[in-house]
Amino acid sequence: MSRILCVAEKPSIAKAVAGHLSGGTYQTHNTRETFIKNYVFDYDFGPPWGACSVTMTSVIGHLTGLDVGPELKNWSYPPPERLFDCPVMVNVPNDKKNIAKNIEEQARRASALFIWTDCDREGEHIGGEIRDAAKRGNHRIEVRRARFSNIERVHILNAARNLVNLDERQIEAVNARIELDLRIGYAFTRFLTLNLRNVGPELNDLMISYGSCQFPTLGFVVDRYFRVKNFVPETFWAIKVMYKREKIDVNFHWARHRLFDRHAAVVLYERCIASRHAKVTKTEEKPTKKWKPLPLTTVELQKMATKFLHLTGQEALAVAEKLYNNGFISYPRTETDRFDKAINLQALVQKQIPSEQWGQFAQGLVNGAFRAPRQGRNDDKAHPPIHPITFASPAVLGQNERKVYEFVVRRFLACCSEDAKGVATDVEIAYGDEVFTAHGVIVLERNYLDVYKYENWTGTAILPKFTVGERFEPTEALLVDGKTTPPGYLTEADLIALMDANGIGTDATMAEHIEKIQERQYARAVERGNRGGNEDAPAAPAARGGGRGRGGRGQAGRGGRGGTAGRGGGENRGSGIREFIPTALGVALIQGFDRMSFDMSLGKPFLRKEMELKMKAICEGRADKERVLRQSLLEYRQVYNQSSAELHILKNACRQYVLGHGEAAGGAG
Amino acid sequence: MAAVATQLQTALRSQLFPLPSHAWLLSIVTNRDPPPPLASLMATARARILASDLTTPGLLDAAYTAAHTLPAHVINNIAMVEHRLAHDVVVQVADIENLSRSRWEQVEELETIERKEQRRGREIIRLPPAGAEGGDGDGVDAGSVAITQNLSSAPGSGGGGGSGGVKATHKLILQDCKGQNVFAVELKRVEGIAAGKTSMGEKILLREGTVIARGAVLLDPENCHLMGGKIDAWHNEWDDTRLARLKEAAASEVRH
Repeated sequence: MSRILCVAEKPSIAKAVAGHLSGGTYQTHNTRETFIKNYVFDYDFGPPWGACSVTMTSVIGHLTGLDVGPELKNWSYPPPERLFDCPVMVNVPNDKKNIAKNIEEQARRASALFIWTDCDREGEHIGGEIRDAAKRGNHRIEVRRARFSNIERVHILNAARNLVNLDERQIEAVNARIELDLRIGYAFTRFLTLNLRNVGPELNDLMISYGSCQFPTLGFVVDRYFRVKNFVPETFWAIKVMYKREKIDVNFHWARHRLFDRHAAVVLYERCIASRHAKVTKTEEKPTKKWKPLPLTTVELQKMATKFLHLTGQEALAVAEKLYNNGFISYPRTETDRFDKAINLQALVQKQIPSEQWGQFAQGLVNGAFRAPRQGRNDDKAHPPIHPITFASPAVLGQNERKVYEFVVRRFLACCSEDAKGVATDVEIAYGDEVFTAHGVIVLERNYLDVYKYENWTGTAILPKFTVGERFEPTEALLVDGKTTPPGYLTEADLIALMDANGIGTDATMAEHIEKIQERQYARAVERGNRGGNEDAPAAPAARGGGRGRGGRGQAGRGGRGGTAGRGGGENRGSGIREFIPTALGVALIQGFDRMSFDMSLGKPFLRKEMELKMKAICEGRADKERVLRQSLLEYRQVYNQSSAELHILKNACRQYVLGHGEAAGGAG
Repeated sequence: MAAVATQLQTALRSQLFPLPSHAWLLSIVTNRDPPPPLASLMATARARILASDLTTPGLLDAAYTAAHTLPAHVINNIAMVEHRLAHDVVVQVADIENLSRSRWEQVEELETIERKEQRRGREIIRLPPAGAEGGDGDGVDAGSVAITQNLSSAPGSGGGGGSGGVKATHKLILQDCKGQNVFAVELKRVEGIAAGKTSMGEKILLREGTVIARGAVLLDPENCHLMGGKIDAWHNEWDDTRLARLKEAAASEVRH
């Protein structure tokens, strides 16, 4: 019987997979590393492997690190720009030596290595590290990889019989990314720390670290901060028409919405009044829908968690990982928002019937209310949208796990049900030369809303009957005024959406970068509502927002329905929504780079976005690693040289904001 | 020569177009030897008028001017509820403003463009910098195209829509050929009028019957005949100072 070595990315996956393959009976051997066990059992992998003796073990994340030589550990010499071209080497950090050794030893006795790391770019790279360790023990060992996106039994057994090869391109892309992050991060961190040290006492002992994702992330926060701070409120005028019929106050909205000129508004208003009668020009009654949500991606999970679950994006992802490791949900790092036709969704729905909370709803779907989910436009070709795999009783889950699991399940069930349905009535009138409309909705069937408690659709009362051509005298016609209000500071959901749209980080790392800029004290999160009075309250009916919420319309696909994120509108007040405000140091760093005369400011997303696109190109075989490295390093080196030449601008920004010299000191901090 | 000028004047008289003086037409005709065909002379005359400041002495026919100016008693007369023009009036655009969007929103958009950036939804796009990225001259072209597109269509900016948005309402300052200024507001949307699209010095014929209410001309597509045209000096000045004027206007409102 041939011997096979299987290696997973984490101990929990090793154990789960060993359990499924062995049918539950395996021997457990300790290794030199406390958390790592070797599970030994027999399994038939089918041709060409046949029945094998299997050892299943794991690593704990990455097995190796990249670093510069000891001669570059000294910050004062050589100068930071050496880091752009100095030699770098891969090494196994001390805390990973025993894990690597275990793989090396096990490989000696095995004829093949099967890799069970997560199926994403990082996972592929870890697979490469495992392969290298195994080859050190046995250079002839055959290497295969299992493709799986959840640890449900049938799925795992299927993966075990359909092994593929490691994807070298993805490994190379991650290698490129790691090397760029190392060189650029080191170079700019030293540059900033050494040069800003003597600007003032506040900066004396500070390590000012730079990361190619953190800075653009901070850039978004600073940009919004200044938009709020520089905002100039303006008065606008609007005409409001009300007509009482059948005891219903029907409010008509001005087709011009609002005008920022009193003279013009008054002239138009006067002509309405002069005409006395309004004439109905159009009435329409038609079925309307509120669309059910798209299948769940990582970015969406994080955004929703910050809005509704009182978790940060990073916490949500960590909890989701745990749920995945326990086999309750599918792999939580995915960009895919469409389900593959091959997945038996109804069977997954059926598994939720035992729930006391949503079991009945699931039962309803199984009994015939099931509808195919909407198809989004994104498919990472590696993982399905996040969905529940088995039913997890609340008793076995911690508090946060319960919240995230509940969200994942409710979202999934919502995806598998019918859109909410209603009837919309629209009435258009001509009053003087002006056009006004009234809109009414009654909700007829809530459908998915019954299970998806994170959304609501409140119908307004249905409008009374109006007939085209009829004339009436409005009960009330007022010229009202209001003031524009500044946008809110960025919420975590906004920030994630911005990072997503601008290619900063991957869906799995965005939350880390957000965490980092706080850790580094470049920005802090404060509870919304801690800023001034009611000036936020809409002053007039026409306060904000063009569309009159015709339900959750929005094109299929991401970004399409993002309109509400910009400004919580008031619905979120006091619900623990946190907003990001830059510190004085954060403002100084971004402004310092932005004020320099070249366009490629480190505070902007462009450089990083290009890098991310190049990684993608490597994965798709359109670029090779060496060229990408050369090109990117050249770009960053240029920025480095330009930044050195204009260092005084950065220093002045620090003096201005951090030390409070010159202009107003940023206010934040 | 004079006969040709008269012929031109007669032909122009039958068109909806500001009528040049005989002397001015003569100056066009005499500069050419041999005189080009009438059709091309006509085109030249029209193009020159459209590019000229209508208040230039001697440019327009005196009788035409007298019959096509704003009645003085309606200008800035906010006490007058309604007045209908008894005859056509020819004017040129001296300013235009989008009333549907706050000035500050427009300031933010112009500043984004000034930074060579553009927002597409949440995405920030870098407009190609002049001469960079290998494309040499191409970079400049692509950049300016993107800027003009942005000005005229202003994608993704909510509220009252972009400058040229279907629903936007504009306020203009119009000047007649005597140099009298008057406000105008779009009572109905007039296609072709938009901040960033309408040129300063563009000529408009306000048809007989056009309403002036409380000192403001009410424009609608029925009575507002756009003839095109542009006075380069005016337009460049307007364009160069637009951002500063918007900022000033937004800020000045706070003060009172």
